[in-house]
Amino acid sequence: MKVRPITTVKTVVADIEEAGRGIKLFTLVDPDRWELPPFKPGAHIDLHLPNGLVRTYSLCNEPADNTRYVIAVKREAEGRGGSRVLHDEVRPGDVIGVSLPRGGMTPDARIARYVFVAGGIGVTPFLSMARHLERTEQAGFTLHLIVREEVPLAAHLGALIEEGRVVVHRTSRTGRPDLAALVGEGGSDTLVACCGPEGMTDDFERQTAAWPAANVHVERFVAPPPVIDPDAKPFTLLLARSGMEIEVRAGQTMLAALQEGGVDVATSCCGGICGACKVGWIEGKPVHRDRILSPYERERYLMVCVVGSDADRLVLDL
Amino acid sequence: MLDTVSAGSAHNATQLGWTGVVRFLHFTPRAFLPMRAAEQINLVAGRGIEGDRYMIGNEEGFYSHKPEEGRQVTLFELETLVALKRDAGIELRPEEHRRNVTVEGVPLNHLVGRRFWLGETLLEATRLSVPCRHIEEITGKAIFDPLINRSGLNCKILQGGLVKVGDIVRNAA
Repeated sequence: MKVRPITTVKTVVADIEEAGRGIKLFTLVDPDRWELPPFKPGAHIDLHLPNGLVRTYSLCNEPADNTRYVIAVKREAEGRGGSRVLHDEVRPGDVIGVSLPRGGMTPDARIARYVFVAGGIGVTPFLSMARHLERTEQAGFTLHLIVREEVPLAAHLGALIEEGRVVVHRTSRTGRPDLAALVGEGGSDTLVACCGPEGMTDDFERQTAAWPAANVHVERFVAPPPVIDPDAKPFTLLLARSGMEIEVRAGQTMLAALQEGGVDVATSCCGGICGACKVGWIEGKPVHRDRILSPYERERYLMVCVVGSDADRLVLDL
Repeated sequence: MLDTVSAGSAHNATQLGWTGVVRFLHFTPRAFLPMRAAEQINLVAGRGIEGDRYMIGNEEGFYSHKPEEGRQVTLFELETLVALKRDAGIELRPEEHRRNVTVEGVPLNHLVGRRFWLGETLLEATRLSVPCRHIEEITGKAIFDPLINRSGLNCKILQGGLVKVGDIVRNAA
């Protein structure tokens, strides 16, 4: 038996619940019901699916609920296949490896009010945020949910809708709401966040362009098109642990070069937003093009799907 | 005496004599999972801690790129947690360093190659632990650099038994 490094948290599917048209809630737990690694409100995890796909989903449950990871998955018939596998093949009792949770909202005492704007199934990261804020009463919040007609996860949002904390905007009846009006003028004690289709998040970014960056948060699930650098030069990767050298051709992604070289790197979005392919780097001058690593993390890690190199040689911790 | 220990050799430290105490005990059954506090843990000679990941061995894989014998139980100094807060402003809880036994009053860095009693169990120190990025990833705290040279001690279990919070730690020389 070949022994491999353990790189994921081992979970089993404890429950699968129908949660509206085309949506299922999956509850993942430790096989012995041990506590799972903690997560921040709005965090997400990668699921390493049985067929080798790696897909990212937001955690819906309250972070204080530390023995479960609950994700909501909408079946996308024309998607890249992850949701179809989960809906059609995964059953209770199946083992699924997951990444450590990433991202999410760091509690900030300066924020007195949160305004969340969600499009359809993009509501998922805000469920755990809303539940966290309700429990802690640390700040007020309003969640604007923009849907065509049907409310996703209606049973889970019902009480919040009745309380007026969730405001549903049905575009089939009232048209698309004015995002500027929803987020308001803002201020240093307000944080606004958006998750939904690309067009909505782009619009949201335009509307909040003048806000302080720290007060605006966007969750993306679809990576932007890859960056093509016309001035890119070839460079050499040295893999510190194996001693391998791999040439990255001009215009080629580091990820593609690694895969050509037979190096197994986990991937998901391939666009610098999910973090699945994060690896450590030791020497060189990476050109970071991801959207999630902090300045501190960039001193140690890079995302091989989008990173470039400003030097002839880059040493990776692989 | 403290000056002598901090500037001195392992020989000096062990000759000076010391007596420590077990402050916290932790274990976890699998990689990445949070460590759970315990009032007592059962050390099994030559194997590890009952219920802990390094003894169970029920997974197809390993936790380190260099799996090795001699990491059956790991120790950490409570004094390091105090220093981390004082020097780096980082509050690290005893379960977050992911070693099994947090001790106070034990010069761990001077014990490599030596035997000592942990309560009723006899341990042999194999090597110093090194900081790892994995713990930074799990905790979200920038502890790699501050923990260089004070990241704990790996040990073999020569004589097993129960270890309880409050047990005495002493030299077996």
